[in-house]
Amino acid sequence: MMRNIIVLIGGLALFAASCKKSDYALPTPSTRLQNQAIKRTLGPNIVGQVIEFAYAGAILKGKLTSFQADATIAGGAGTYMEYRSFYTASTGADVGVPVGNPSVTKTTNTTVTFNVDTNAATLRYYYVVPEEARGKTVTITFTAKSSDGESISTVMGPYTVAKMDMKLNMKVTDNNAMYISIADTTVYNATDAAAHAGSIDLVYLYRNLTTSAFGHALVSPAADPAYLPGVTLPAGVNRSTKELKAFNLQDHNLAPTEQYGGIFIDDIDFQTIDLSNSPNYAINLKADAGVWCQTADGTYKAYIFFNSVATSGTATVSMKRYKLK
Amino acid sequence: MKRNLSIAIAAIIALSTWSCSKNTPVDSDGLLITTRKECSVSSFELLGTDFVSVRVGAAVIDTVAQTVKCTVQFGTDLRNLYPQFSLAQDCKLTPKITGLTDFSDLTHPRQWTVISGDRKIQKTYTVTLTVQPR
Repeated sequence: MMRNIIVLIGGLALFAASCKKSDYALPTPSTRLQNQAIKRTLGPNIVGQVIEFAYAGAILKGKLTSFQADATIAGGAGTYMEYRSFYTASTGADVGVPVGNPSVTKTTNTTVTFNVDTNAATLRYYYVVPEEARGKTVTITFTAKSSDGESISTVMGPYTVAKMDMKLNMKVTDNNAMYISIADTTVYNATDAAAHAGSIDLVYLYRNLTTSAFGHALVSPAADPAYLPGVTLPAGVNRSTKELKAFNLQDHNLAPTEQYGGIFIDDIDFQTIDLSNSPNYAINLKADAGVWCQTADGTYKAYIFFNSVATSGTATVSMKRYKLK
Repeated sequence: MKRNLSIAIAAIIALSTWSCSKNTPVDSDGLLITTRKECSVSSFELLGTDFVSVRVGAAVIDTVAQTVKCTVQFGTDLRNLYPQFSLAQDCKLTPKITGLTDFSDLTHPRQWTVISGDRKIQKTYTVTLTVQPR
């Protein structure tokens, strides 16, 4: 009995001890130079697109003298660092306060030299993904320097750059600019299609039929003629492209203004999707519809998204394309 | 002390065994076997790879002849369709639909068997598709 009481007391003591909280102490700020970076851009890193970072530095004593970003692969034309530090006004608008000279970029290195007496700033860095980075990884090292000779760095990455590329807002028109080449990421009319016959993968057409829901369509030149009513193909245009319909797959890169466009198609999607059992036509396509494609020679897979359509027989399409071999 | 411990363990085992025992049996799929004898298809849907219906009008279900007749849009990819059945309460379907289904052989319509809630009645439905003309 006595032993049980001891065990019970012991248990209660343990319970009480586990609930005890240590006193909170305010953290003591460091007097040394501090820095932090975040990547603001979401989704895959695509050649020709911008990756945006925000880099912040602060020091208690002294002032900031420079911010620097050093990329392992030199950014493309247009790579720069903001020389203004932004705050958000009561209206919600970002307001920039100049703190330094416009950035200077030398190969892999972009620098902003401060020209005002400030001990804290956040600058944006815009890295334009160059062609050389396709399929590789990029690492960005941010460095802040202060007037007392201190220096501190933060490494961001490595970030894998996608192999895929994209082409936005191509206008297609029934009976005119209607021949799509995935290899060229271009839309041709009949005359130009004849000159590029070997690379025409799809024919855009629009038919308003009373007997069936045909509407907007992307059809392979080699498809059953029933899916190409009234179309006379230019000489030599005869490829067969695999096609798989999708709907509401609103890739954020292809449809940046879509309300629910929080999806990103990346290299892995092209690597894994199986189109081997797909037909060579897709009809009755609407705005927000998409078509996964694979070219007849197996060189490319693509996702073609319908940004908008019109009953006049036109559409605006955007494409992500992945080279298989 | 040792005897008390043995009693306690025996009580726990008995309690857990009792709490796990079930009055209603389940089948090999872990589904409840009930007393219901209804055995029929109540509705039928057919989706394309874009998960949009390819039906033209409602499917015609004949529970006596055990047929489902459905007209699909012109241009439907018959090799890659997702069929969806709604069944009478507690029924199940065999074979199971696990993904895209090939309906392209129109001369040999696909068949599914509905099994009643009591698992004693089976009815095989034939699903016949007709493609809308252009």
